[in-house]
Amino acid sequence: MSSMADRPPAPARVGARAQVVATQVHGEPAQPQLEYQGLITRAIAFTIDAVVVDVVAIVVTAAAALIVSALSLPNSFDTALVAAGAWLFLLWSAGYFVTFWSTTGQTLGNRVMQIRVVRAKDGGTLRPWRALLRLVGLMLAALPLFLGFLPILLTERRRGLQDVIGGSVVIGVPEAPKAEPVRAR
Amino acid sequence: MARSLFTTVGAAALRPAAGAVRVGRRAAAQAVDGAALAAADLVLNSKTAEEIVDRLADSPLFERAVSRALAGPLVEAVSRDVVQYAVLDRVAETILEGDALESVLERVDAAEVPRRVVDRMLADGIVEQTTARIVEGPELERAVDTALDSAAAERLVARVIESRLLDEAVDRLLESEDLWLLVEEIARSPAVTEAITQQSMGFADQVADGVRAGSRRADVWLERAARRALRRGAARNLPDEPTAPEVTPQ
Repeated sequence: MSSMADRPPAPARVGARAQVVATQVHGEPAQPQLEYQGLITRAIAFTIDAVVVDVVAIVVTAAAALIVSALSLPNSFDTALVAAGAWLFLLWSAGYFVTFWSTTGQTLGNRVMQIRVVRAKDGGTLRPWRALLRLVGLMLAALPLFLGFLPILLTERRRGLQDVIGGSVVIGVPEAPKAEPVRAR
Repeated sequence: MARSLFTTVGAAALRPAAGAVRVGRRAAAQAVDGAALAAADLVLNSKTAEEIVDRLADSPLFERAVSRALAGPLVEAVSRDVVQYAVLDRVAETILEGDALESVLERVDAAEVPRRVVDRMLADGIVEQTTARIVEGPELERAVDTALDSAAAERLVARVIESRLLDEAVDRLLESEDLWLLVEEIARSPAVTEAITQQSMGFADQVADGVRAGSRRADVWLERAARRALRRGAARNLPDEPTAPEVTPQ
């Protein structure tokens, strides 16, 4: 016997019931109304991600610099260290975006802005190589004075160059129910 | 001469008889008094007298008499006289001036009467009963309400607030280590930290909600502007439409 606490919340129950009705009427479940996300929302999310990536990189770089300064290595190592640091930064940045896009579809910035990157054809999660292609597409879109992002303003599904290359769209995520506030004891 | 002699001799002869008569009368009077007192004692100590007094006390007649006496002007008259002749003052003055009160108090103290009274009250639970009655009864609440509503209470509070006493108390409180220990303890308590976390998250959520709503509005506005600009550009690039041929009147 399931208690009240085990039952899903009312909106979820209504949604499940609507799916059943849609399946009976149309023969297939109703597709949720997707809300494609615009340029500014995505730009804010990307800015948050950039802050996270850069702050982590700065902290790690500062720690590494302190360690290196304490070791008093010869000057010839500096160039190699900088090159290694640059590669590590690229790896870290790419890993951050590829990992999040190919797992939850949401980076930290996307989570704050409640948006998600999904496959354009079926709404599933991107595969890692698709996510990597999307990242390459992002850089390509930014190179010609950010003109690659212009299609987001003009197309029906708000897809930029990176979405076309990665086969993705960016959709809104319904807000999760908020936790009950703590009662004073 | 002979007459005076006769009178003198006669008086001398009768003097012992007169003394005997006086003694006899005194003895008779004493005997009568003793008999009367004995009779009165007999009457007062008798069961019949007790019975009579009891019956009298239980009788409605006695009750009516007492009621009428209390309802009548007697009480007022007595009270007036007591006040008029300063009876209470005089009694109090007499008691206070004499050594009787002192000696009574000393004897009471020597006999440890107060301690015994207190012991007895504590043993009987009178203090607890009284306290419970006062706390649970409506009188205390009424008294507190009256006291709080009074102008005197307001004046008292105002004086306390304005006085240096409060400032000094606050200063001492702030200087005490215990206060800060208490504050630290409260601040570290799970309920407070959880509440602060919830509040912070609630505030962050509110900010994020605002940013999201604003960005979505900005998206719509930007796309409209872009499409409008695109349409204008397209319209400008279109070739001019051919003008309609002039119709010449036939």
